[in-house]
Amino acid sequence: MKSYISEFESKDKPKDYYQKLLEELKGKNRELHVFNNLNEDLRDGFPFSVKDNICVRGVESTASSKILKTYKPPFNATVVERLQRQGFAFLGKTNMDEFGFGSFGINCETPARNPFNVDYVAGGSSSGAAVATSILKYHVAVAESTGGSISAPAAFCGVVGFTPTYGVVSRNGLIDYANSLDKIGFMARSAADIRKVLNMSVGRDEKDTTSLDARLRDEPKIQFSVINQLMNGLDDKVRSAFDKLLEKLKSMDYKINYVDLKDIEAAIPAYYIISTAEASTNLARYTGFKYGFKVGDFSKRYNDFFTEARMQFGSEAKRRIILGTFVRGASVKNRYYVKALKVRAMLGEKMRRILRESLIISPTMSITTPKISEVEKLSPVQTYALDMLTIPPNLCGFPHVSFPYEYIDDMPIGAQIVGDHFNDYAPISFVENWEGKFKYRFKYNIGAI
Amino acid sequence: MDDREFKSLLETARIGLTETESETIKNDLEEVINYFNKLDGVECGNVEPAYHPVEIPGIMRKDIPKEFKEKKELLDNTKTHRLYVVGPEV
Repeated sequence: MKSYISEFESKDKPKDYYQKLLEELKGKNRELHVFNNLNEDLRDGFPFSVKDNICVRGVESTASSKILKTYKPPFNATVVERLQRQGFAFLGKTNMDEFGFGSFGINCETPARNPFNVDYVAGGSSSGAAVATSILKYHVAVAESTGGSISAPAAFCGVVGFTPTYGVVSRNGLIDYANSLDKIGFMARSAADIRKVLNMSVGRDEKDTTSLDARLRDEPKIQFSVINQLMNGLDDKVRSAFDKLLEKLKSMDYKINYVDLKDIEAAIPAYYIISTAEASTNLARYTGFKYGFKVGDFSKRYNDFFTEARMQFGSEAKRRIILGTFVRGASVKNRYYVKALKVRAMLGEKMRRILRESLIISPTMSITTPKISEVEKLSPVQTYALDMLTIPPNLCGFPHVSFPYEYIDDMPIGAQIVGDHFNDYAPISFVENWEGKFKYRFKYNIGAI
Repeated sequence: MDDREFKSLLETARIGLTETESETIKNDLEEVINYFNKLDGVECGNVEPAYHPVEIPGIMRKDIPKEFKEKKELLDNTKTHRLYVVGPEV
């Protein structure tokens, strides 16, 4: 199994290795908008990047939002602390959709570009994390997923993206989007590296009351389940490539089982109701005087002051706050918010039944990588609907991994494997096995020794 | 949603919109809420609402005061008067 971390540790590095790495990255950053900032004081250690909604002490952490410009947290997120304790070197903060609100990485000031072709999206919301992983030979990205923000960009940029079971990696230091959905996870060029950083990051953290001290399992499955309803609406090229993948898996002695999962389509509205409801309360903390952007005129009444500060939010953030405020309204709360929570419980139970005997497999995205100009024209509902394959495991907190399995028109596409709660290592083990049969392609190898 | 309801919603959310944004977001909102209405037809049986996707024991840490040593770094993010954060009138 290929581990870039082990390979890096075994190599002698030139004295100016980190300096040259930074220089080269700065050049590439101007073209691809990968990093919101780079660590000029990069020192010994395996480089890791951190999505800009995860706090690093003394480093501007904005979640790519104008409202957090200049905010420097006085502490490290627990996951950052744990990786630094293992000798990893903080490389920089990666670009993203503002507060994680997006699937294509375009909801921010300077969208990250796909390294395979700059006219195409990087995917979102962890856009910079995926691009960094795709262009750097020795690197892992700390990213975060709420509804597919690791899987989607990992698929579009041709890297491995892993989202753990909800609660197994501490969220302390994460700038929240939706507390019951946010999961900190990782991207890397190999599943073995994902396994290593996951091992270093899991475990109960007293600073996050939702973090769990669960023992993660590695129960392999020889059966993959394909959910019939999720196969509706796939792009023809994706469908054809996915069918070939299933044939290949059969030749590797895996069994493929097609199953129905009634009402799985309800996962999308349920997800957007829960996530916007939680986001609308989480984002109430940006009041124009405590973090980042300052209104400055303290003679204004509180509500006017607060409203003026919130003009700094981008359109998608405003849209989601308004939606979340609406679905929490007393007269409609049961119809929308409570119903969405029940849908999560119902779908979680149905998926768990399938996952007892198998892993769920699907393409990661129903489309091939789109151009930036194409997604800019989509309505919110059209955009939300494209999350159909990544939302179910995220809504229900199941561990999942996206991995490259084919290249169409020189662009990578990914498939997604979902495991049962706390069986986090099973999807990773599968991808380790897959990597023995399939070679990933990268356009750049910055930092190669 | 009529203009009065939309305006009231914006006030509750404390969101100010430009005229162009207002028109676009109001239309988007109606489209998205119609989409959310799809949940009306979903039968969930007697399940309890899942506030989290997995069971969370909700263990709180012990309530022991600790000194926060990075006060200066914290306050550097704000306008301060002595050790107080300056804010607007309430």
